[in-house]
Amino acid sequence: MAEEKELNGITEDANTPVSDQSVNTGEASGESSVVAIQNTSTTEPSQNIKISQAPKKTLRYTGRIGQTFVYLGKLFRMFIFQSDWKVIPMAALIAGLVSMAIGSGLFVSQEGTLQGAFALACVCIWNGFFNSIQVICRERPIIKREHRAGMHISSYVAAHLIYQMIICIAQSLITILVLNVTQVKLNLDPLIFKDFRMDLAVTMFLITYSADTLALLVSSIVHSTTTAMTVMPFLLIVQLVFAGFFSLPESLNGVSDLMISKWGVQCLCAIGNYNDQPAVVIWNKLVSSGNKIEVGPGLTMMDILHEVEELGLRDEVLAQLGKANYNAKYESTTANVYKSWGILVLFVVVFSFVTVAFLEFIDKDKR
Amino acid sequence: MENELPINFNDAVRIGFELVTYLLTSIGYSMIFKKCSKSPVLAFIPAVRDYEMSTVAEREEAGRTLCILYAGFYLAQFAGTIISNTENANETLILLLGLLLLTMGIAIILCSVQIYMALCDMFGKKKLWTVLWLLIPWIPAIIWGLSKNTLPKRVNGEDFRKAAALSGATVDQIAHGVTINLNERTAIDFIKKKTLLKDIHLSIPTGRMVLLLGGSGAGKTTFLNALTGYEKADATVTLDGQDVYSNYDSMKYNIGFVPQQDLMRGNDTVNMTLRNAATIRLPRNMKYSERRDRIKEMFDTFGLYSVRGSLVNKLSGGQRKRLSIAMEFVSDPSLFILDEPDSGLDGVVARKLFKSLREIADEGKIVLVITHTPDRVIDLFDDVIVLAKDRNRTGRLAYYGPVKNAYEFFGKKTMEDIVLSVNQKDEGGEGLADDFVEKYTAYAFGGGGQ
Repeated sequence: MAEEKELNGITEDANTPVSDQSVNTGEASGESSVVAIQNTSTTEPSQNIKISQAPKKTLRYTGRIGQTFVYLGKLFRMFIFQSDWKVIPMAALIAGLVSMAIGSGLFVSQEGTLQGAFALACVCIWNGFFNSIQVICRERPIIKREHRAGMHISSYVAAHLIYQMIICIAQSLITILVLNVTQVKLNLDPLIFKDFRMDLAVTMFLITYSADTLALLVSSIVHSTTTAMTVMPFLLIVQLVFAGFFSLPESLNGVSDLMISKWGVQCLCAIGNYNDQPAVVIWNKLVSSGNKIEVGPGLTMMDILHEVEELGLRDEVLAQLGKANYNAKYESTTANVYKSWGILVLFVVVFSFVTVAFLEFIDKDKR
Repeated sequence: MENELPINFNDAVRIGFELVTYLLTSIGYSMIFKKCSKSPVLAFIPAVRDYEMSTVAEREEAGRTLCILYAGFYLAQFAGTIISNTENANETLILLLGLLLLTMGIAIILCSVQIYMALCDMFGKKKLWTVLWLLIPWIPAIIWGLSKNTLPKRVNGEDFRKAAALSGATVDQIAHGVTINLNERTAIDFIKKKTLLKDIHLSIPTGRMVLLLGGSGAGKTTFLNALTGYEKADATVTLDGQDVYSNYDSMKYNIGFVPQQDLMRGNDTVNMTLRNAATIRLPRNMKYSERRDRIKEMFDTFGLYSVRGSLVNKLSGGQRKRLSIAMEFVSDPSLFILDEPDSGLDGVVARKLFKSLREIADEGKIVLVITHTPDRVIDLFDDVIVLAKDRNRTGRLAYYGPVKNAYEFFGKKTMEDIVLSVNQKDEGGEGLADDFVEKYTAYAFGGGGQ
């Protein structure tokens, strides 16, 4: 009588010859007995099937370019449905506030230009960070699922880069528009393009975009939006401290070279013709305290300043003070501008590649 | 000529004192480790010993951070010593290192407090001991190490018998279905190698709907990931005669995996979510009309046609789950795996969902499902796989076979009781995992344990 045991979804029959499926035991123990098990649910014999190393028919699936468009579409739908559009009006608001604070001196005097360049770089970096600091980490489990199902990480990141590029261009144009409306001096001689505003727009776009890609990188490393938002202010402070605006020990100059802010400020000052602008701070200080400074018997500093003004030499003095303040970093040459742009583009490229590299490890995420 | 010592007396005393206290602490740690079945040698390795102590306290996460912090702290200290002893030492750098050391020092204290408090809890001691652990760690380490009454809660009464022997078996692959011969699945967890699964050999023919059962941490998801090739193990897996691991890039499209959570973008429409899933999962050379028909078929099969214009966020729990399933099923996979598809669904909706899975299996697919409430839908399944943690906390195969035989095999009336019987005692189970693993080996493979 056949002794039957139903196991493995199959019927074990001691009298049945080896057929569909066999279970080999005793490999580890050195035994070589074979227990024959008949698989009742399959009809075709399957013994001695060789494991094939290649699929029977090679099917081609949507490639990287096709997938990039799929994700680009998703991102634009998110722009509408997920209120991602808020970053555009926010850029206008921030530009307006900054313009109110520093607009009057921007591209007018050296001090105003340096302050304004720093403020504009900060605005751009803030915009860039805010655009993308959460975009990857907020959907990290979704990316993991889609990667498992065949998504290419490079396509996903490429879609983000294209989408963010458009957002950054829009933000830069809006900022220029706001500066124009608030009557910031924007009629300087252009260095690269035919219009100074174009030079400014490209510079602001590159600063925003490189900050954006840095935030994308952070977003690809951290695993939650909370961590991302904790890291962001820290990154921002580092960018501000090392922007070249503050006097730092010489040993930290190397760190400064790695900052988007430094190259951003440098470029803005270069296109803003910093070195040929008057330096007004010393004059203004002397004016405010001129009566208290005696330079001779019955003669105050204010008297001298009046004399200079009456002789029509004020502008000449301010220009000379500006020349004395010459800074080679801010030299208004196309080479200097191209160098800064090039470094900002390099940041974009490096951050993008590192983002892809980090995301490739997403499958290693713990459950 | 006066001979000058390379080190002054005060420094020598300080270093000697630090060395003695380090050694005393290490000796205390080693005695505690011994009580917890851990290698006492680890107690003498800086940073590693703190991580090991955190595992004793069941605060592994904090232990990892602490271990990294200590490693960084020692490195920074070493760098600081070298830099400050060089001529024209860079003051800014020294200042930065000091800042780094201060930050890490604070973090070390905070992490240590977390671990020591948990350690007090584990050994049933008052939290006040934490202060002593922080200030003079060698004293509590020696006292706890020497005291015979100071034992960790988990070790008390724990079973130290060996885990169930390996079956030493392999199953031959089948032409239509999936075969897995998994010897081992290990993972490096920080600085330790863990064996997550061991000795799982089975074949599932096409057309079967299989339930995957097991307690928490038994390795169900790990098993599924190994089966699909997503996380490779020391195993051979074939699907319809093809090696899954070596052909993973092409075969992943033939394996559908529906995760437990509904991982979809809530602010995208149902229509576009499914269309995009089809674009990625279906072959590029598929005709547009075929693709369109397949998407429509998915909408009909899963009852999503009426909500195709809605945002995913607006769907009910059941609809969202069905969309998640449709996204994977659109590629018409041969092996269809679902990780708790009924989580968050009420009984009626869940049953309806499982009925549609049954229909998929009847079409000649393999449907493999994890669920924690199997009894309400058990009549829809053909077979059941039971995974259980053995005494080494490694996932093992405790049973694979028809559902009706499982009751007899375990001597239980419900699937939930079966899970309880193989769960560890500290999880509220009966702790019979190893017994059933051995029983299954004998039953399925006729013994052959090693």
